[in-house]
Amino acid sequence: MPLFALIPGLPLAAFVILAVGGRRFADASHRVGIPAVGLSFALSIAALAEVARNGALSIPLYRFLDVGGLVVTVGLYADQLTVLLLPLITGVSFVVHVYSARYMTGDPRYRKFFAVIGLFTFAMTMLVMSDNLLVTYMCWEVMGICSYLLISHWAHRREAAQAATKAFLVNAVADVGLGFGVVLTFATYGTFNIQEILAQAPAMQGQTLGAFGFEIERNTLIALCLLSGAIGKSAQVPMHVWLPYAMEAPTPVSALIHAATMVNAGPFLLARLSPLVLLAPSAMAAIAVVGAITALYGALVSLTQSDIKRLLAYSTISQIGFMIFACGVGAFGAAIFHLLAHGFLKAYLFLSTGESLRATGGHAHEGHSVPAGRARSLAAGALLLACVPPLVLFSGPYEQLWNAQNAPAAQAAFWAVGLAAVFLTAVYAFRGVFALFGETVGKSVQARPSLFSAAHLPVVAICGVAVTALLSGVWAEFSEFLRPALGARSVETEAVNLTLALSISLVVAFLGWCFAYYCHLRPAAVPFGQREWVKTAYVLFLNKLYFDEIHQAIAVNPTLRVSRWLLRQLDDRIINRTVHEVGTVVRGGARVLEGSAESRVIDPAVTGVASLVTGTARWLERLTETGLTDRGPRAAATLLIRISGWLWQAVDRQGTGATLRRAGRVEDETGEALQRVGPRTLRHHLVIIVCWLSLAIGLTYLLAN
Amino acid sequence: MTSLFTEHLITSLIAVPFVGIAVLFFVRGDVWVRRVALAVSMVALGLSGVLWWRFDPSIEGMQFVERTGWMENFNIQYAVGVDGISLILVLLTTLLGPLCVLASWTSIESKVRAYMILILLVEGAMIVVFTALDLFLFFMLWEVTMVPMYFMIILWGGPGRIQAGLKFVLYSLTGSLLLLVGILGLYLQTGRSFDMQAMAGHVIPEDVQIWIFAFLFLGFAIKLPMVPFHSWLPDAHSEAPTAGSVILAGVLLKMGGYGFLRICLPVLPEAAAEFAPYILWLSIVGIIYGGCLALAQSDLKKLVAYSSISHMGFVTLGIFAFNEQGIEGAVIQMFAHGISTGALFLAIGFLYDRTHSRMIGDYSGLQKPMPRFVILLSIFAMASFGLPGMGNFTGEFLVLLGTSFGGMLKVLLAMSGIVLAAAYMLWMLQRVALGKTRASLESLPDLNTREVFTLAPLVVGVFVVGLIPGTLTKKLDSTVKGLLERSPAMIESSSPPGG
Repeated sequence: MPLFALIPGLPLAAFVILAVGGRRFADASHRVGIPAVGLSFALSIAALAEVARNGALSIPLYRFLDVGGLVVTVGLYADQLTVLLLPLITGVSFVVHVYSARYMTGDPRYRKFFAVIGLFTFAMTMLVMSDNLLVTYMCWEVMGICSYLLISHWAHRREAAQAATKAFLVNAVADVGLGFGVVLTFATYGTFNIQEILAQAPAMQGQTLGAFGFEIERNTLIALCLLSGAIGKSAQVPMHVWLPYAMEAPTPVSALIHAATMVNAGPFLLARLSPLVLLAPSAMAAIAVVGAITALYGALVSLTQSDIKRLLAYSTISQIGFMIFACGVGAFGAAIFHLLAHGFLKAYLFLSTGESLRATGGHAHEGHSVPAGRARSLAAGALLLACVPPLVLFSGPYEQLWNAQNAPAAQAAFWAVGLAAVFLTAVYAFRGVFALFGETVGKSVQARPSLFSAAHLPVVAICGVAVTALLSGVWAEFSEFLRPALGARSVETEAVNLTLALSISLVVAFLGWCFAYYCHLRPAAVPFGQREWVKTAYVLFLNKLYFDEIHQAIAVNPTLRVSRWLLRQLDDRIINRTVHEVGTVVRGGARVLEGSAESRVIDPAVTGVASLVTGTARWLERLTETGLTDRGPRAAATLLIRISGWLWQAVDRQGTGATLRRAGRVEDETGEALQRVGPRTLRHHLVIIVCWLSLAIGLTYLLAN
Repeated sequence: MTSLFTEHLITSLIAVPFVGIAVLFFVRGDVWVRRVALAVSMVALGLSGVLWWRFDPSIEGMQFVERTGWMENFNIQYAVGVDGISLILVLLTTLLGPLCVLASWTSIESKVRAYMILILLVEGAMIVVFTALDLFLFFMLWEVTMVPMYFMIILWGGPGRIQAGLKFVLYSLTGSLLLLVGILGLYLQTGRSFDMQAMAGHVIPEDVQIWIFAFLFLGFAIKLPMVPFHSWLPDAHSEAPTAGSVILAGVLLKMGGYGFLRICLPVLPEAAAEFAPYILWLSIVGIIYGGCLALAQSDLKKLVAYSSISHMGFVTLGIFAFNEQGIEGAVIQMFAHGISTGALFLAIGFLYDRTHSRMIGDYSGLQKPMPRFVILLSIFAMASFGLPGMGNFTGEFLVLLGTSFGGMLKVLLAMSGIVLAAAYMLWMLQRVALGKTRASLESLPDLNTREVFTLAPLVVGVFVVGLIPGTLTKKLDSTVKGLLERSPAMIESSSPPGG
C-alpha cells in the first residue's frame, strides 16, 4: 500500500511547507501541522489494521545512492513492530500539535516551532518505518538536531542554549558508536537492508574483527554499537545527562521527546535488530547491565528531585532503562509493550504538567500551590504513573526471562532490579503527587488519615486481581501479534508464572505507595532517615551522582585544554615557527650572499667587464676616427661597436643605436605610464603583471617555434 | 554556429571570464562594473550548466576534448576536456563565481573594477586547471590562480593582510616549485610529453615513481592543505575579504585533491599504493587536529578555516582508500565542502560587513535582531558538521565506507573528527546566535534580499547533495570506475567485499 508512505510524508510536507512558506503562515502554522499529523495518525491506524490482517508490507521509494557495489534504496518497511509504534508516535504528536496550538500562542517563533515538531515526527516515523540501516541512522541524527532546535527554542535563555548544545553533543558522542556500527555492518554484510542483514546474521557467527591483538566477534561489536546509539538517544547512564536539561524546551516538546520520539528510539532499534542482538550473548549482558543500572539510578535520583519536570525526566530515564534491561535479557516484546504504555502515559503526564506550569508560571517546585482545577489532571496522571508502569512492566519480563536467559544469576538480578525499580517508581510517583499538591490533596489526606484503612484492602485486592487478569489477556494477544517481527527466541510464551509475577509486583508497588505515604505523613520518622549513610546517599543522588561534573572533568575540559594546547604549542610554536625560521634563514642567507658574493665578486666582475668593453669601444672609436682605411679591421671594429652597443647605451651612432633608442623610448613611456598610475596601486601591479606575462609568453612562443 | 559552439564548449566556457575581464576595462561606473561582472559570471554558470547537461555519464574517458598545438617543439598542447570529476569541480567553481560577485556588491567600495577583474581572473584560471589535459597548461594556470588571490588578500584584506598575503604566496610558490619538479620528472619519464592522458599509458619504474610522487604530493598537500603543511591557510582565509575566503575555501583547496585524482592516481599508481598508508594516517591526524584547533578558536573565520583542514582530511582519506565509495565520496565531499564552507564564509562576511568584528566573543544572541541570518548560519553549520540529509554527510559517509575496507580503527578515529565538528560548530552557534542579545547588537539589520539570494542557491545545493546524491554520483560512476581499472596496483591494496 503505497498510501502508507504518507505516514512520514505528511509531517515532512508540513515541515517543508512551514519552512519555505514564509510569514504568511505565522500564527496559523498549526493549521498546517495539525491536519497533516492527524491524517498521518489515521493512516497509522489503517496500517495497523492492514498489517494485522496481511502481515508485513514494504514500499520502495527511491534510489538514494548508487556507488560501485553499494546501492542504497530508500524504502519503507512496516511489520508488526512498526505498526505498533506508529500510532503512538503520530498519536502523541497529534495531541502535542493540538495542545501546542494553544500552549504556544503568541510565541514569536510559532511557525518555527510547528515546523520543527513536524520534522521531528517525520524523523521518528521514518526511523521506525525505514527498511535500511543508513536511513535509520540519518533519521536518528535528524532527531538529534530537532531536539537541539526545540530545546533552544527560547533562545534568549542562556540555559536553554547550553542545554541544547549539551543534548546534541552528548548524542553526537554516542552516535559515533552507532555510526561506526552502521559502517561496520556494511563492511560485514555488504548491504544496509535490515531484513537482508538479519537473514545473513546467523551465517556471520564467528566472523571476527581484530585490532591491537584483540579479536572480537563482528556481531557482538555491531550489537555493542547499537547499544552505544541507544545509550545516547535513550538517555542511559552515563549519557543520560542531556535529558533533564532538555526540560528547557517548551513542555509540549518534553511530551514529544519523552513519549513519542527520541528516547524510544533506543529500545526500538534493539528490538528491530533483535535477531542479530540475540546472536551476541556478551553484548546482551552489557545491554542488560546498562539498562539495570539506569533503571535504578533514575529511580533513586528522581526520589531526591524537587522540580516536577526533573522528577519526570529521571523517571523517564528509569523507565527507559527498564526497557533496555528487558531487551538485554531477551524480552524484546515486553520492552515494546512497556514502551507503548509508558509513551502514552508520559505524554499525558507532561501535557498535564504543562497545564500546571502555565498556571503557576515557570518551574514547579515543592510547595507551590496549584489551582485545584488544573491540579486534578496532574494528580490523575501522577497516580497513574505510580501504579500502571510497574504493572505493565511486569506483565512481560518474567515470562520472557525463563526462556531467554538461562543463567540463574541473571534471573535473580532481574528479580531484584525489577522489584526495586517498581518499589521506587511507586515511591517517587506518590511523592511527586504529594509534593505538588501538598496543600490541596495533602490536606484532605491529613483530614482523613484512614485513607488506607483495613476497610479498603478488599477493594484494592479486587482491583489488583482485575488488573492482573486484564493485563495477562492483553499481553497474550500482544506477544502473539508481535511474534513475527522479533527474533524467534524472544517470544516463546509460557504464561504459567504471569499471574504470580503480576501479583508480586502489584504488592511491591503497593508497599512502595504505603512507604511514600508514611514518609509524607511523618517526615521526621522516615526509617533510616537520620542515619549518616542515608544522608550521604541523599546528597549524592540529589547531585545526580555528579555525572555532569564528571563529564565536564573527563570529557569536555580535557578536549578544550588539548585543543588550546595544540593551538598554542604545536600550531603557533612549532609549525608556524618553523615556517618563520625558514624564512629568516633564507633572508639571512640572502644578506650574507649580498655582502660577500654579490658585492665582492659578481658586482666587481660585471663592472670590470663593462668598463673593459667601454674602454675597447672608445679605443675603437678613436681608431676609426683617426682614419683607418683597411676594410677588414674596419668591419671588425664596426661589429664590435654594435655588440658593445647592446651592452652600453652610450654608443648610438650606428643602426643599433636607433633600435635601442626606440626600445628606450618604449621603456620610458612604460615607466611614465607606471608613474602616472602610481606605485602601490593595483593598476600598477596589474600593468607590470600583464607586461611580464606577455613578455614571457612571447618569448616562450618564439623559442618554441 | 551551433556546431562551433558545441565543439568548443569548454573553450567558450574558459573564454567567458577572460572576455569579461577585457570588457570590464571599458566599463565606466562602479554600478555597471558590478552588473557586468555578475552577468559574466552568470554566463559562465550557464555554460557550465550546458556542459553538465550535455555530459554523457556513460562514457568513461574525457569528453568535449579540444586539442590544438601550442608550443610544438616541447610537445605542449592546448588540450582541454572534462570527465565526471572535472565536471563537478567546474560546476562548483562557476556556481561560487556569481555568489562572490554578489557578496562583494556593497562591501567592496574602493577599486571595484580591479576586484571584479580579480574574481573573474581566478575563476577563469581555475576552470582551466580543472579542465586542462596538458600538464603544462595545468601548471601554468595553477600558478596564475595564486596572483589574484595574493592581491585580493593584500589590498582588501583584514588588518594582518600583508603578512597573510606574503605567507600565502611563499607557501604556494614553494608548493608550485615542488610540483614543477614533479611535473618535469613526469615529462622526462613519459617520453617528453605533457599529455595527461598519454601519460597514464606509460609504465614508469617504481623507484622513479616514488620520487616523482613525493614531489607532486608535497605540491598538492600544501594546496589542499594537509597537516602539517596547513599553516598558510588560517591566516589567508581569515585575512582575505569575503569573496577571497569563499574562493580559497570553496574551490582553490580542491585543486590539491583534484591533482591527486588527475595525476597521482592514474600516472603513478604503484607509488600511490606505496604511500597510501602514510597518507591515510596523515589524513586522520588532519581530521582530528583540524577539529581540535577549530575548537580552540575565538575568531569566526579562523574557526571555519581550521574546520576546512579537518574536512579536507576526509578528501585525502577517501582518495587513498582506492575504491569507488572512497573516491566518489572524496569528490562529493569536495563539492559539499565547497558549498557549505563557502556559504559559512559568505554568512560571516555579511555579519562582518555590519559590525567589522570577527571575534566570537563580540557576539551573542543574534537570533533576536537577525533571525534570517541565524537560520541560514545554522543550516550551513549543520551541513558542515555532516548532519544527514545535507551534503557533507553524503561525502563523509561514503569516505568512511570506503575506508572501512582498509580497517575499522581509521573509521572510528575519523568519526570522532565529526563529533569535534559538531562540537565547535554548535558551540559557535551557541555563543553567537543564542543567549541574551547584547545591547549594542539589538539594532543590527537582518540580511537583506540580496544577501538572502546569495545564500539561497547554496541552501538548495546542500540539500540536493544530501538528499539526492545520485545527481552527482551518476556523473562520477564511470569516471571513477575507469580510474580504478587503469590502476590495478591500487585495487590490490584495498578489497571491498563482493568486488
